[in-house]
Amino acid sequence: MNTLVLTKGVPDFREGKVSFDEDGHLERGKTPTVMNPNDKVALQAALQEKVRHGGTVSLMSMGPPGYKEVLREGMREVYADDLYLLSDREMAAADTWATAMTVTTGIATLEESPDLIVAGFKTADGETGHTGPQTMWCHHMNDRLPDRPLLTHVVALDIDMEEGRLRAKRLVSGDVDEIETVETDLPAFVVMDPEFEPSYRKADHRLRYKDLREETKARAEAFEDHLTMWNHEDLNLDPDFIGLDGSPTIVAGVDPIPKGPAEREATPVSPDDDEAMNEVLGELTPFAGGD
Amino acid sequence: MVEIDPTDHEIAELGPKVNGIDDADELREMLDLEAAGEDRAPVKTLIESRLEKLEADDEEVDPETVDLTELSIADVANMVRGVDDGDVLRDLLEREKAGENRTGAITQIENRIESVEGTDEGDGEAVEYVPPEEKHPDLDHPTADKQYVEGVSGETYRDMWVYCETQQGELIEVSKEMLGRAREMMDEYNSEDGYGGDEEGNPEDVVAVLIGDGVDELAEEAIAYGADRVVYHNDPRLERFRHKPYTELYVHMCRDFEAEWRDYHEPRYNVFPATNNGRDLSALVQGELDSGLASDCSDLYIDDAMISNPAKTGKPGDSVEFERVLHMPRPDFSGFEYSTILCIDKPHRDFHPQGASVIPGAFEAPDPDPEREGEVVEHDIDLPDEWFQVEIVDHDTLSGGVDLTGREVIVALGRGIGEDPTRGIELGVELVDAFDDADLGLSRGVITASYVFDGHVEDYVTEERQIGESGQAVEPDVYIAAGISGAVQHKVGMDDSEVIIAINEDPDADIRDFSDYYIEGNLFEVLPRLTEAVEQGGSIEAVTGASDD
Repeated sequence: MNTLVLTKGVPDFREGKVSFDEDGHLERGKTPTVMNPNDKVALQAALQEKVRHGGTVSLMSMGPPGYKEVLREGMREVYADDLYLLSDREMAAADTWATAMTVTTGIATLEESPDLIVAGFKTADGETGHTGPQTMWCHHMNDRLPDRPLLTHVVALDIDMEEGRLRAKRLVSGDVDEIETVETDLPAFVVMDPEFEPSYRKADHRLRYKDLREETKARAEAFEDHLTMWNHEDLNLDPDFIGLDGSPTIVAGVDPIPKGPAEREATPVSPDDDEAMNEVLGELTPFAGGD
Repeated sequence: MVEIDPTDHEIAELGPKVNGIDDADELREMLDLEAAGEDRAPVKTLIESRLEKLEADDEEVDPETVDLTELSIADVANMVRGVDDGDVLRDLLEREKAGENRTGAITQIENRIESVEGTDEGDGEAVEYVPPEEKHPDLDHPTADKQYVEGVSGETYRDMWVYCETQQGELIEVSKEMLGRAREMMDEYNSEDGYGGDEEGNPEDVVAVLIGDGVDELAEEAIAYGADRVVYHNDPRLERFRHKPYTELYVHMCRDFEAEWRDYHEPRYNVFPATNNGRDLSALVQGELDSGLASDCSDLYIDDAMISNPAKTGKPGDSVEFERVLHMPRPDFSGFEYSTILCIDKPHRDFHPQGASVIPGAFEAPDPDPEREGEVVEHDIDLPDEWFQVEIVDHDTLSGGVDLTGREVIVALGRGIGEDPTRGIELGVELVDAFDDADLGLSRGVITASYVFDGHVEDYVTEERQIGESGQAVEPDVYIAAGISGAVQHKVGMDDSEVIIAINEDPDADIRDFSDYYIEGNLFEVLPRLTEAVEQGGSIEAVTGASDD
C-alpha cells in the first residue's frame, strides 16, 4: 500500500504572525511559511493506511527551495518515509492548472506509481480547492498514467487490500448537507475533507502508530537524506506550460477588504468600569439560562 | 515645469513638500533651480536624499553590470523593459546564455530586443511563434504526446453557460442566484452600453446546464430565473453527482455537441456554484477545456482589462487591452484581501471558456418570471460503463448540522483567542452555556488559522460555525464578538443582530464601527467575568470583588 500525499506551504495565519504593508496588503515575505493545515489531514489519512496495511508514505510539494522545511514539518509532525520537492524558477507563479500539470509530471516521474494519492482540501492562502481534482484530471489525460477514480470531501476512509477496494464517506453540500458512502477500485485519488479524523481502534494499531511516530520524528532530524528535488528538466517539462507562462489565470489586482461604513455608535466600555459593565450585563441577563 | 520652486521657500517648509514628490525628474529640476538660485547646501541635501530614496525604491539595477543569476525571470522582465539600447540587451542575452540559460529570461530579453529594434519583417510587435515541439525537441510536450491540453488558438466563443446544480430533485438556491446574475451581466453585455452582443453584433445567451435524472422538469424554472436556453441530460445513473460522467457530459455539451444553435467552439464563460460538488466540477471541466477559473467568487462582472503581463500580451513592455473579460473578485488570504482574478488567452493558446465558481448567497435570486420564454434542448449520448467506476452505495441527509440562525444569543470568537486557542474556545462555550438559547460562532480567521486545539474543544472548530460572507448569517438578540477585528465579510453575517457587544484589546478595531458596546479589554479576562455575572443573574460587582486589582 503505497501512498503519495500532496502538500503546499502557506503563510502562517496564526495571530500576530501576519504582516501587512502600509497599503494593507499581506506581506508574504515577512510571514513565515508552514504546511497547509488541510494537507496535514491528508497526511494523517495516509498514516492511518500505513498503520493498517503497511507500505510507504511519500510527501510531495511544488515550490521554492524553502519548502523543504514544509516537507520536514510534515515528516516530523505527522509521518513520511520520503520527500519530493518540485522546485524551479520556471514553475513559479503557477495557477492551479499549471500546478496540476507540474505535479502530475512529478508523480509520473516516481519510480513506482502509488496505489493511493491523497490531497488536502483548499490551501489556507489560495483557497481554490482545484489543484487536487485537476491533478487527477491530468492523470486521466495522460495515457501513460493509470486512470484514477476521484473521491473528494472524504471524511472516512477504509481500504480492503485483498479486494483492492476503497470505501469512503464523503460530504455533499448544497441547500442541505448530505453524506454519501462510495466505493471504488485502487489505484484512486482522494481529497480529504478537513473534518476527517484518523481512527485507530485496534490495540496493535495504536502501538504501531506510536512506533511510526517515533521513527518519523527521528528521520526528520536528517530529512535531507530522504529528500529528492526535481526541476523542470528532470521532469522533462516544457517551461511554456508551467509556472506563470502556463497559467490561464492571472491576479489582476489585490485590494484590502474595504472597511464597512460605521452604522452603530459604540458605547466604549472599560472592563474596570463596573457601572458600564453592568449596563452591558443588562443586555445579557434577560437571556440567562433558567437553571 | 516644477510645482515648487525651492528658492521661493524656507527650508522648514520644504521638508514635507519635497518628501511628497514621487517624480525624480521634477526633483532633479528643483535641484538645478536651487543650485542656480540660493544654492543652500541643506536644501540640496534634502532634495538629493529624496531622489536617492526614490531610486532605491525602484530598485533600479544597472543592466550593464547586474548579476543575472540573482534575478528572477520576472525581475529580468522588469529590468529589460527599461532598456532601450540593443547592444546592452544583446550583452545581457549573452550573459544569461553563458550563465543560467533560462528559457524564460532569454525570451524576455529577446522580445525586448525585438521591440526596441523591430524584427526583420518590420512590424516589431508580435513574438515569433515556435511550436513547442520545435522549440524544445528534447522535452515532452503537454500538447503533443502527453495530451494534457488541447492547445487551440483563435477559436470562437459565445454565451454564458451556467451549471445549475440540483439536490433531491430541486434547483438549489445558488443555481437561481447564478442565473439571475448571469441574466444581468448578459443583458448589459448585449446592450448598447455594453458590447452590443458578440463581435458581429448578435446578442449572446445565458445557457443553463442541467444534468441528472428527470432534470428536464426543472428546465422551465431555469428559464424563469433567466436562462435563454436549457441543455439537459437525463439518465437514472446520474441521479447523484459523480465526477467522471458529469464532467464528461458537461464538456461534451459545450465542446463536442453538434447543434445548430451552438455554432461556436466553446462557451465564452462558464459559471458554477462553489458547493462541494460544483467546485469540483468547475475545476475538472475547465481543466479538460485547457482553461482557467477562479473559485468562490463573491462578485462577477464583464469589462475590458489592460494587461501588461508579457506571458499574456506576447509583447514585453506593452499593455494590451483585452475585451469582454470576466472579472472575478474573491475574498482571499483568509479574509484579509480581495483578489480579482482574470482568465486571459495567451498568444497561440486560448484560455477560454473563462470560468468561475460563485459563493452561495453572493447574489440575490431574482423573482422568477413564468412568462419568460426559452429553448429546451435535450442532450443524449451513450454513457460508457467505465464512467461509473465510483459506486454510490448509500446516502443520507445530515440533520445534525450546526444551525446558528434563530438563536437568542451568539457568542462569536475571532483571532483574539490566538494566545491560547483552546482556553479561548472553552471561555466562549462557558458563556454560551450561561444562556438559555445560545450557540458558539467563529470568524473565518479562526477556521483558517493553523491553531492547535486540545481534543475536548476541537469539535467546536468547524466551518459550520463560521459567521460571515462564506458562512452563516445570523441575527440574534445579542451578538457578542470576542477578539474579532471585524472584516467586512464578517459584518455581513451579523450586522442585523439586535445588540452587538464587541470585546477587543485594540481600541480601533474595525468592529467598533458596527458595535453598540465596545469593551476594550482582553477576552481572556472579560469573558469569564461576564459568564459568572450572567450565571448569577446579578451584577458585575459581585464578580469583580475577587479579581479586582
